[in-house]
Order: sequence, then C-alpha cells, then structure tokens
Amino acid sequence: MGLKSDLETALFFAKKDTGKNIRVFALIILAIAFATANIIIINGFMDGFSNSLVDATLDISSGHVNIYPKENDRYIEGLGIKELKLDGMENVAAYSSRLYSSGTLSYNEKTKTIKIVALDPEREQGVTKILEKIEEGEGLTKENEILISYRLAEDLSARAGGEATLVFENGVSKTYRIKGIIRTGATDLDANGVIMYMNEANNALGLSGKASIIMVKLSKRELAEEYRDILKKELEVSKIKVWREEIESITGFMNTVKKITDTVIAVGLFAAAVSVGIIIYVNVIHRRRQIGIMKAIGMKSSLIFTVYLMEALLLAGIGVAAGDALGYIGTKYLETRPFYCPIIKEYISAKFYTYLLYDASIVSTAVVVLAGMYPALMASRTNIIKAIWGT
Amino acid sequence: MKIIETRELKKTYTLGKVEVNALNGVNALVEEGEFVAIMGPSGSGKSTFLNMVGMLDVPTSGEIYLNGTEITKMEEHARVEYRLRNIGFVFQFFNLFMELTAIENVMFPMMLSGHPFYKERAEELLESVGLKSRINHLPSELSGGEQQRVTIARALANQPKLLLTDEPTANLDTKATHEIMELFRRLNEEKHQTIIMVTHNPELGAKTDRIIHFRDGKVVK
Ligand SMILES: Nc1ncnc2c1ncn2[C@@H]1O[C@H](COP(=O)(O)OP(=O)(O)OP(=O)(O)O)[C@@H](O)[C@H]1O
Ligand SMILES: [Mg+2]
Repeated sequence: MGLKSDLETALFFAKKDTGKNIRVFALIILAIAFATANIIIINGFMDGFSNSLVDATLDISSGHVNIYPKENDRYIEGLGIKELKLDGMENVAAYSSRLYSSGTLSYNEKTKTIKIVALDPEREQGVTKILEKIEEGEGLTKENEILISYRLAEDLSARAGGEATLVFENGVSKTYRIKGIIRTGATDLDANGVIMYMNEANNALGLSGKASIIMVKLSKRELAEEYRDILKKELEVSKIKVWREEIESITGFMNTVKKITDTVIAVGLFAAAVSVGIIIYVNVIHRRRQIGIMKAIGMKSSLIFTVYLMEALLLAGIGVAAGDALGYIGTKYLETRPFYCPIIKEYISAKFYTYLLYDASIVSTAVVVLAGMYPALMASRTNIIKAIWGT
Repeated sequence: MKIIETRELKKTYTLGKVEVNALNGVNALVEEGEFVAIMGPSGSGKSTFLNMVGMLDVPTSGEIYLNGTEITKMEEHARVEYRLRNIGFVFQFFNLFMELTAIENVMFPMMLSGHPFYKERAEELLESVGLKSRINHLPSELSGGEQQRVTIARALANQPKLLLTDEPTANLDTKATHEIMELFRRLNEEKHQTIIMVTHNPELGAKTDRIIHFRDGKVVK
C-alpha cells in the first residue's frame, strides 16, 4: 500500500475521531486560536511600538549623521568654522546645530524643570520634523518666543499665547511668550521639552559658537557610514554617530520588553499545547481496546502514530487558521485605536505585518504537533494482547 | 493440506516471581478447510494458543507453521502485513470501532490492504451476513448478535486463510448464538473457510468438524 493511501486512511480516522469529540475539540481549538492570536497581536504591538519609537527618533532628534562634543567636553567648539565647512561639502543636504541645556519654567504659580532645545528654526526644518509637530498655536518667529511640550503645558496649565518665566542653569531669568505647544512622539522631549532660538540660548548662557549636537542630513542615508570618516577628518571631531546607532538603544530596550512578551506568549502556547496533549492522551487511553484491535487486524504502528499525530495537526490547522483570522482582525482594529500607555507616557498602536501570520502559524503548529507526539507514540506502542483483554 | 502446525509450542508468563506456563508444549495440526473447536477448562491456554497462531504474540519456544511458513521469527512489520492479509479475528466482545458505521468498520481492513473496490465489497460482505439494511448504522445502534456479524464480515474482508474466533457467542442469547453458528457453518461449507473457534459450549463444539481439547497448556488425547 502506498504512502498516499496510508495518509488518506490516517486522515479518515483522525477526522472520525475528532468529529466524535467535537465539543471538547472546539474548546481546544479555541485555546490554540487564542494562543495564536495572542502571538500576532502582541508582536503587532511590539512592532508598532518599536517602529513609532524609531520613527520618532529619526524624525525628531537625529540626522543621518550626528556630531557630538569631544569626550569630556560639554559642547562642540568652533561651531562657525565647522558649519562653514559643512556648507561646502558634497552630499550634505542640510544640517542643524542644537544646544541642549536645562532650567525651570514658571507659569502663573507653577514651576517645572525643563529641558531646553535651542535651535535655528530654518536650519532645523531642513533636517527634522520637530517644528511640524505643533498641536496648538504657531511656530517660532521671534527670539522672545518659545515652544513647550504638551505635557509641560498640561503640568503648568499653560496655553499658547501666555507668558512664562524661564530660569537658565546659570541663574539668568527671562520672560518668553509661549508661541505653541508641541507633541513630537519622542518621549524625553514630550515630557518637558522647551524649544527656543539658538542665539537666544547662547546669549542667556553667556556662550558663543557652541552646540551640543550637529545633525547632518545627507543626500542619501546610505551614505552615513562613509561620511562618518569624512566628517571626522574634515571637521576634526571625534564623536560621531550614524542614524543606525541612534536607534540601537531603542532596539536594546525593545529586546528587553520582548523577553517579557515572549514569556506571555510562551505561557499561552504552553497552555494550548498541554490541553492538546492531554486531550489526545485521554483519547488514546479511552480507545486502548480499539487501538489494540486496529493493530490486531493489521494496522501498522507507524500508521496509528500518524492517525493521532494527524489529529493534533487537524486541531492545530483549524485552531491556527482561526487564530490567524482573530489576530489579523485584532491587530487591524488596534492599529486604528492607539491607546495610552502610562508607563512610557506615550500612545502606542499596533501595526500589522504579514510576516506575523507566518511566524505565529509556524510556531503554534509546531508546538501543538509536538504536544501530540507523546500520546501518538503511546498509541502506536499499545500492546495488542493487553489492550484487547484489558489487562 | 496443513494450514496450521505447531511443534512443542510453549508460552511462559512471568508475573513477578511466579512463572505461569500458559502453553506447555502444544503439538497441534489443522487442515485447510476445517472447522475446529478448541475446548478445555478455564486457564488451560486456549486463548494463548489462538493469540500465538494469530501472530498477536510470540511464543517462548517452539515452532508455528502457517501454510508451511515458520512465523515465530518473523519481523514485526512482516507479521503485521501477514496478519492483515491472512488472518481474520472475531473476539468475544467490543470488537467494533464505535465511531464508525457498520460499512466503515468492514471497509477498514481493505483500506489498509489497498483493496480497490472496498466499498462495494464491504456492502457484499454485510449482505452476506444478513445486514444489508444496517450498513449505515453505528455499532451502538445494533444488537450484540448484529455487532458480531459485522465483526465477522470485517474479519473476512481480505479473504483470510484463517478465521480465528475466541468465544464469539459468550455474550449472546441463544437465538443470536444460533445465528452466528449458522453463519460459521455456512462459511465453512460454502466458502471452505478454515475456522478455529475457542468455546466453552459443548453444543457449539459438537457442530464443528473436530474438537481439540486443551488441559494445563497441552493438547489432550
Ligand atoms: N498476559 C498474561 N500474563 C500472565 N498470565 C497470563 C496472561 N495471559 C494468560 N495468562 C495465564 O495463562 C494461563 C492460560 O490463559 P488463557 O487465557 O490462555 O486461558 P483460557 O484457556 O483462554 O481460559 P478461559 O477459558 O478462561 O478464557 C492462565 O493461567 C492465565 O492466567
Ligand atoms: Mg480465553
């Protein structure tokens, strides 16, 4: 007898057996479906989350290549010359220097610690989208104007158009008009960021020609690695990071979070696998005599193994298909409904990718079939005499 | 022609420290086309003998020839294949696959052996045991006697040389017992089916061609 008819026979019996216990199996299928959907939705979230973090970093606070101060220095020195050199370089599409500092901001009676991001709006627009993220009010036009993050605005109960007092880290205090409120998606900036003019900050801090970062945008981001060395030499700087390195911390963070979510996924899968294993096991025990008779008649052990493994495969197939559908619908639904995560103080939304379906299907099927292995093996090893005479 | 011959067949079971000699040197002979009853007291080794001849178990020592072939040293997969094509079994009770209909039960051995017209043949077989109108019934919807007749039809599916049956009527009433016995008689007379039947019932034994008596794991007389 050929392999094809062997498999057909096995499938015939697996179906009969499964059909007989439809209610129990429906529950098992549900467990597999939820475990599978769980994988898809959780990973969809992780991907959506990670992508929005990466996008935020790349859009808001990074160029293709970023220049930082030398080791042990607080600022980049000789900004003017470096900018001149950048102006004359090939493939440098735009650049923007920023000065980072800290201070406090008071509005009415309330005061908050802030992070100052000083920049030149025109140059900044060539590199990042930070100034497009205005939620309320307008963009910067004068040196006595600032933009504040939406959470700072909430904390201070401040509105666009109001006046706030900013105290710099050197004690200099000055009043600014809140021109607009921003929401960038970049966590630290949204927490307590204040954006102001570069010159204004330099003056207030008694500095000149200093920056905390120069973000360089190239004609193509693939050129980043190449320009790391070019910029090092030409601008005489030592610390440079390309965009890929800027998101490494996010990737690292995501990997940590992934360990937690993987545990959640594993628990779900384990539960589904154990229930499949137990159901088939009980089924095998229950049918011991019939299995004995099957063998007595002349059914090969390998075929009996196949019947019960196929049962697991059948359950996995239906469960996984249902789980895929559930996961797809769930992820798509959550894509349109971002929710607020109080831990990272951000809105996160899921993102559906087709690979999620493949991954979840393969993992679930493999785990369920593996769980069916032991009872199937047990069935195939049934001793005929003992099974038939019930000893 | 000899269909079964056993020589000094022994089977010893070990239960903890106790050894049970279920078969103690059985020399038996069955000719092709014979309808033979095996009788003897409980525990005399009748079922054990049937299991050995039916290749469900292996003897401790001795030889078994089926159609001239020594089978005790056969490899497992060859035994399975030999059983499928040459031996039909009817046990005492609960023989059928409960989730399969009568016809599916009968089809089963033919699906395993790759019979090309298993459905048609299953129908014929069920008709020949008088169950034409019951082919799509589940075992739970059949009487004990009807269930045994389905089992007999299934046992005959691959036209086995040997039909082995261990107290097939032990759980049936007189009428059903009579019907089953008639069926065996007819199979033997019309189809020259070799049948070996273990029974405690002397009336049934008397209806066979010959009785082999067992006592203490041996053939007597
Ligand atoms: N699997 C086994 N393990 C241990 N001892 C066994 C086993 N099978 C049978 N025996 C013993 O072997 C002996 C013969 O048993 P067997 O079943 O062949 O007797 P039997 O003639 O069929 O009896 P009965 O008429 O009651 O069915 C008995 O003493 C029985 O207890
Ligand atoms: Mg017996």
